Amino acid sequence: MKRRVFLKGVGGAALAVPFLSSLAEQESKAQSAGAPPKRLVIFFTHNGCLTDRWFPTVEDGALPASALSSTLQPLAPYASKLLLPRGFRSMNGYAVGQTIDPHDQAMGSKLTCAKITEDSNRYATAASLDHVIAKQINPGGTTPLVLSVGAASTKIKEILSFSGPNTAFPANVNPQTVYNQLTGLFKASGSTPGTAPVTTAGDYKVARGASAIDLVKADLTRFQALKMSQADKTRVQDWLDLLRTTETGIMNTPSSCSADAAKAIGATDDAVKAASPAGAISGGAFAGGNSAAGNTNLATSFTLGGDMMMNLMALSMICDTNRMLMLLYPGYVTFNWDGIMHTHDHHGLSHRTGDFSVGGSCKVAGVLDMIQDIDTWYAKKYAKLVGLLDSISEGSGKLLDSTATMWLPELSDGAAHNLNNLPIVIAGSAGGYLKQGVAVNVEGKSIGLGNSTKTCVDGGDIGNTGSFGGNLPINKLYVTLMNAVGCKGADGGKVTTFGDFDGTGTTGGITNPGEVTKLLAAG
Amino acid sequence: MFHWRSGILLAAALAAGCTTGATDEPPGGQAGPGSNNPGGVSGATAGTGNNPGDPNNPAAPVDTNPNCTQGVVATSQIPRLTNAQYDRTVRDLLGISGLSASSNAPPSSILATDQAGSLTSLGWSSYQSVAEMIAAQVMADPTLKANFLKCTPSGDGKACLHDTIVQFGRRAFRRPLTDTEVAGFDAIVAKGAQITPTGAPLEVAEALLYMFLVSPSFLQRPEITETADNAGHFTLSSHEVASRLSYLLWGSTPDDALNQAADANQLGTPDQIMTQAQRMLKMPQAHDMVSDFHRTYLLMGTNTRWDNTNHDTSLFPAFKKELVPVIQQETEKFFDYITFTKNGSFTDFLLSPIAFVNAATAPLYGLDPSKFGADLTQTELDPAQRPGFLTRAGFLNAFSAYNRTSPILRGAFIAKQVMAVPIGSPPPGAEATPLPATADLDTNRKQVDQQTSGAACSTCHHNFINPPGFAMEAFDAAGAWQTKEKATGVAIDTSVDAMIDAKTVHLNGPAELMAKIAASPGAQRSYAEKWVAYAYERASNPTDACTVNQLAAKLTTSGYTVLNLIADLTQTQSFRLRAVEGAQ
Repeated sequence: MKRRVFLKGVGGAALAVPFLSSLAEQESKAQSAGAPPKRLVIFFTHNGCLTDRWFPTVEDGALPASALSSTLQPLAPYASKLLLPRGFRSMNGYAVGQTIDPHDQAMGSKLTCAKITEDSNRYATAASLDHVIAKQINPGGTTPLVLSVGAASTKIKEILSFSGPNTAFPANVNPQTVYNQLTGLFKASGSTPGTAPVTTAGDYKVARGASAIDLVKADLTRFQALKMSQADKTRVQDWLDLLRTTETGIMNTPSSCSADAAKAIGATDDAVKAASPAGAISGGAFAGGNSAAGNTNLATSFTLGGDMMMNLMALSMICDTNRMLMLLYPGYVTFNWDGIMHTHDHHGLSHRTGDFSVGGSCKVAGVLDMIQDIDTWYAKKYAKLVGLLDSISEGSGKLLDSTATMWLPELSDGAAHNLNNLPIVIAGSAGGYLKQGVAVNVEGKSIGLGNSTKTCVDGGDIGNTGSFGGNLPINKLYVTLMNAVGCKGADGGKVTTFGDFDGTGTTGGITNPGEVTKLLAAG
Repeated sequence: MFHWRSGILLAAALAAGCTTGATDEPPGGQAGPGSNNPGGVSGATAGTGNNPGDPNNPAAPVDTNPNCTQGVVATSQIPRLTNAQYDRTVRDLLGISGLSASSNAPPSSILATDQAGSLTSLGWSSYQSVAEMIAAQVMADPTLKANFLKCTPSGDGKACLHDTIVQFGRRAFRRPLTDTEVAGFDAIVAKGAQITPTGAPLEVAEALLYMFLVSPSFLQRPEITETADNAGHFTLSSHEVASRLSYLLWGSTPDDALNQAADANQLGTPDQIMTQAQRMLKMPQAHDMVSDFHRTYLLMGTNTRWDNTNHDTSLFPAFKKELVPVIQQETEKFFDYITFTKNGSFTDFLLSPIAFVNAATAPLYGLDPSKFGADLTQTELDPAQRPGFLTRAGFLNAFSAYNRTSPILRGAFIAKQVMAVPIGSPPPGAEATPLPATADLDTNRKQVDQQTSGAACSTCHHNFINPPGFAMEAFDAAGAWQTKEKATGVAIDTSVDAMIDAKTVHLNGPAELMAKIAASPGAQRSYAEKWVAYAYERASNPTDACTVNQLAAKLTTSGYTVLNLIADLTQTQSFRLRAVEGAQ
């Protein structure tokens, strides 16, 4: 663990130096040794959902499989490991007036609880939750693993992660990239740590890699002698730190991180290749130059690619390369796979108009059925991820148990663009920290299901498809999750605040600190 | 510079509701020759500080004085290659454009996504994997191998490998290696048997190539020469100038001629740089860069309006989804034609009647499809109807709604992107303002006029956004010429009082609008400013104001071509000098 890595660009995080000093001594002291590492996984989807078909009828209390909504039925096998927090709102009133585009604001403020910039890029003005958490809990304080299906993008509409103010941290979209890093860590099967290595081609590669790193270090060290800006000095130092962290990481890789483990979860050379589109991926509604190949690659990426990303996330957990992981599904694509053949992109469908325009009359026949296709498809994908993590043993439990795996939506209802009453579900207790098998109304008063399916049944005006209840600042959920995975506050105790604002006042600031004790197993 | 929030205080009535469209708006975004956009070309931002037509004070004179002193903006001196630059660099250095180990996909497809800030562990690991693949591929193919090894190793191979280190290192690092660096690579050769299966010279060569490809001096474009001038700036070396030239004009590494000029120290003066720039702009690689700039200018790209174009085909039977990439391509061909083939000027972008049409797009232009084949063919349209890119199918379709034109989208693009009127973000909820549909509102224009007549909307809309949009009502959502409202048959009125460079001008229809834009100093300055930002790979900065003013002043000169403008980007102080933020 390199202290310098930790200190860089803390941007918005409530970290204090005394805590960092202790971290300098041992890797990831934020978490107790011996027990399985705690992790946060965020599964992110765009454009909201049909909320009144998504929420379970139980708003507060035990959540048996039978209480799950039709959309969430794929999660029935895992009902006892689910937590449905009801009543959170992201990006409350303080920053609402920043831009005409609710998507820019929803994305930039979503994981930062901070404003977005006035620049045309509309990036966030602070680091996002995943970076704040990763700095504390990741081995070496390394950056989070942010993955996406679809085309790589640096546009705010598809950027959820920010490494610092006005600095996007775009997702990686090629399973091959992630796989290549992990295979470099695999322990040779049958070898015992500490024994004399058998000479193989792999050993030459290791020796060659070590020599290369010496050269790279020499090259970087020469830069250090120059009159550089602080930002450039930091980049050079961070690269040097990365070389050391990589070496340490290879040494500390768990023995379970092996080709056999990868094979067991379906991450083989051939499968990864099949899941990694070789050419350009369509990016827009039916775009990417609209080539047939681009659309085929998009479909591959959404189906095989996304599933492989899940496998690689599990493998990253096994190899302990990252404890803060995100998987994003972009929202401006037309679903043309897995038996779904849509004529409009998800975003346009969510507006009920088929395109960028909002309000007015319903223009797309059968639009609710098409949105339901997508909601169900995503529920199945989330269930697949939950099921995968629940199938891999770790310590006395499963990967899922030491993890909080959250499905976080961009919006509540896509036509209303509302951010209150968010449909959120969390699987796994992060090592027993979170309640399981329940829905919890965090607001304390009736919230309701929203009005997504009340209009557009027979055309007519779209009207207000949103809802009004459920306005507890999402900051408090993030604080709860930070504590769940072992983050510490400035005083070394629990984290109490996250973000720049949580209220509707005119000056921002945090008005309602603390975690949500109702969500805790102990609460 | 107008900002929405500060605008509330300064001009509440005005700012309380400028909207750019009754829709969500895909963002523009900053790019550079290195694009696809690295994730955060941020730095100092917000324009060059004296935009024309500031709604806060529309009558304010614009400081466009070209008799000024150019500033030098502090930038990173170790920018990493963007993925697009990486692909072009290994193509030009080694002849590799696809990885044989990965279905012939471009190398960058396996690199981590472009991202500003420090290198990540995934990014570093991806550089290593790709370097490994490239090194193996080069050594396995005699043609590719010749791009790396200029000699045949004999005996222990050390002499040849040493020569390769010196020669290939010069090209990979874009400067001669220092003696220390050569010794470092020679030491790798000496270790040959430990780091390769047999220690054979060709195996060691592969290891060397791998090491060059993961070197920070290759993966970054370092500017390290510390020759200070009197003003506290550093003068770039000829090698650093060569690198800037090639990454600006080609997005790639210098070629042999440029390397020779650098080695001979012949890139120190503006004249010497100009000679190279003019040579380089004649090469095919320059077309990619010019296309990429114009995609940025036009707000093209994935998840933009261009990509998401779609129309109700029952209303617009000439439109087909399959035409979306074709009309985009047509627009790109048009910009390439004006820039290179015609060697034209900014005004030609707005006035030229040249179009590229095929059988599928001919109906959009009212042309006979039987006269065209599958390829986009150069043709001349009626200059009274179709002057310039804003009257081509690409723009007209992209900036329309599904079932009608959008004067707001078209007008906002013209006002904000082309004329650089600094219209801020509209207030929340503006996009949900319903389009009124009473019987007396018998044209799209009347509906939109009514929709935007509220106090919160009208100042920006009625002065800046709607008028150019209404002039463009001569084209339907699919880009066809129209004189009557489709739904009601009422005649379409395209006469407007538009604000051009803070003056109200009465004009009638698209051709008159294009003539005004072409002659507008504000539009010319905006174009020049966007070039400065693009070429220097950063958001434009108040320090650039003087450079922009000087280029804009030239743009108004008759005979000053787009290629002249691009070449002049290499003539600035900012191009030859660098500044270090907080240097000690």
